[in-house]
Formats: sequence, structure tokens, C-alpha cells
Amino acid sequence: MSIEAKLTPIRKGLLEFLVLKIVGARSVYVPDILRRLAGTEFATQEGTLYPLLSKLRREDLVQYQWQESDAGPPRKYYRLTPAGQAQLAALDDYWNRINRTVSDIGS
Amino acid sequence: MQRIYITARLNGVNLQFDEAAYVRLESYLAEADRALDGNPDRAEILADLEQAIADQCRQRMRADQVAVTLRHLGPALEEIGPVQAPGVESAPEQPARAEPRRLEQVSEGALISGVCLGIARYLQVDVTLVRVIAVLLLFVSGGSMVVVYLILMLLLPYAPAQAGGAPIGKLPTKSREFVEFVRSKFSVATS
Repeated sequence: MSIEAKLTPIRKGLLEFLVLKIVGARSVYVPDILRRLAGTEFATQEGTLYPLLSKLRREDLVQYQWQESDAGPPRKYYRLTPAGQAQLAALDDYWNRINRTVSDIGS
Repeated sequence: MQRIYITARLNGVNLQFDEAAYVRLESYLAEADRALDGNPDRAEILADLEQAIADQCRQRMRADQVAVTLRHLGPALEEIGPVQAPGVESAPEQPARAEPRRLEQVSEGALISGVCLGIARYLQVDVTLVRVIAVLLLFVSGGSMVVVYLILMLLLPYAPAQAGGAPIGKLPTKSREFVEFVRSKFSVATS
């Protein structure tokens, strides 16, 4: 198994967490999220992001509002629901704990 | 000669496509539709994607260009990427090993012995169709269909049981016992 094949599921698992973080920071629309992730290890495309956002919406973690834009059709702006904020806090906490464990073990 | 363009309505936005681009668009959307099969938000995600495609294409078109061509659509779809359902491994997965198709009988979900089911699976058609044809042939052939069925039942190998397959009914169990009994006699007789 190549290294890349081992890293892919880690990235995939963390993507949802990162999207929650981005949406949690401020109300964003999809190109904002893509731009934030572009150039990182988590660079993502719309084909992946739209299904993920709709899953998060179904789980009642994010919600969106239509906002008129100066150029083109109205846009969907996403933000976290209270349940989304709670989940983000829990994920953040868990992430910090495993991060500590990973750096403690073996040192 | 006049160029013919096709108008596609992408999430309420009318855009003109040349034929090659239109074919490409259709295949992308069909692929997306397949990837979202069973997703309760399929319609909404498809609308979002259509919107993204329309936006991306228009960004790439010069003001004097009236129709989307592959020069616009190709990079646009490249940027949007293939549709991936969340949580589904889609990265360089081992492609499902294409097994050679074999004519076998299938005990799970069989009515008699699974010959029709096996034929349906082999031909990739609805099993009901095969069964109806078999019954029709039974009447038309004046009973020789029974012999054909028996021969197939005795000769066709059994498909390996699949995890989560339908339970094996009473008659298929009996017929399988019978087939195995006959086969054991036969192999004794020939050895």
C-alpha cells in the first residue's frame, strides 16, 4: 500500500471537520470554501463539496440562506446551526486530544 | 452552412452549447446523477452543480461568443470535478474485478432450481421475463421444455452463495439435494 493510499482516507475524514470550521468562522458561500481550501492538502472541488454540504444540512449541522449577489443569480450562504456549533466544538476538542496523544506516544 | 446550437437549461439559466459540448454536458450530468443515486438531496445537488457549470462556462466565454464549446466546458468540468458522495471511498480504488460471466444456476431466490435466475443474471435481463418465456416455451414445446430444464439443472454449476442473498426456498433446497444426489451417482458410475 502506497503512502498516498494511506493518507487519502485521513484527508477524507478530516474534510468534513474543516468545512465545519470554515462555515463556523463566518457565513460563506461555496467559492469561499473552495478558495480557503485551495492550496492546502484539502483542496476540494465543487463535485465533492456540494454533496458534502447537503449531507451536513440533512444532519442539521449547517443551514443556508439565499442572498442576492451583484453579479449573477442569488447565492447560498451557509452557516452553522446550534447543533453544528456543538459538533464543531466536540470535534475540535477531540482533535486536540488525539493530536496530543499522537505527539506524546513514542517520544 | 449554418451552425446549430443546442440550448440547455442549467438551473434556470439558458445556455447555448455546440453539439460536442452538449454531449459532454449530458454525460457529466448523467454520471453525477448516478453518483447521487439514493441521495435524498439529489435534485438540489444537481441544481447546485448545474449552476456551477453555468457560472464556470460563462466566466470562460468571451463577450462575442454565443455558445459553449468544449474549450469552455472541458476546463469548467475539470475544475468542478467528478461528483463524489461524502464518505464514499472513490480514490484510486481497486476497480471491481471483472469476473468472467458464467452461466450458473442461482439457488437464492429461485423458484425451482434457479436456472431461470441464472440465465437472467447471465443475460442481464429481468428474471420475470426469463420465467415468462420459459413458461410459454413449456406450453409451446409440449413438455420437452421440462427435459431441457432438467438437463440444465443437472449440468449448470451452482453460483456461489452471496452474502446477504435471499434465503433459499424449500423447493430449491430439495432440487439441489436431488441434483447433488444424481451427480454423486454419476461420478461414482464414471469413476
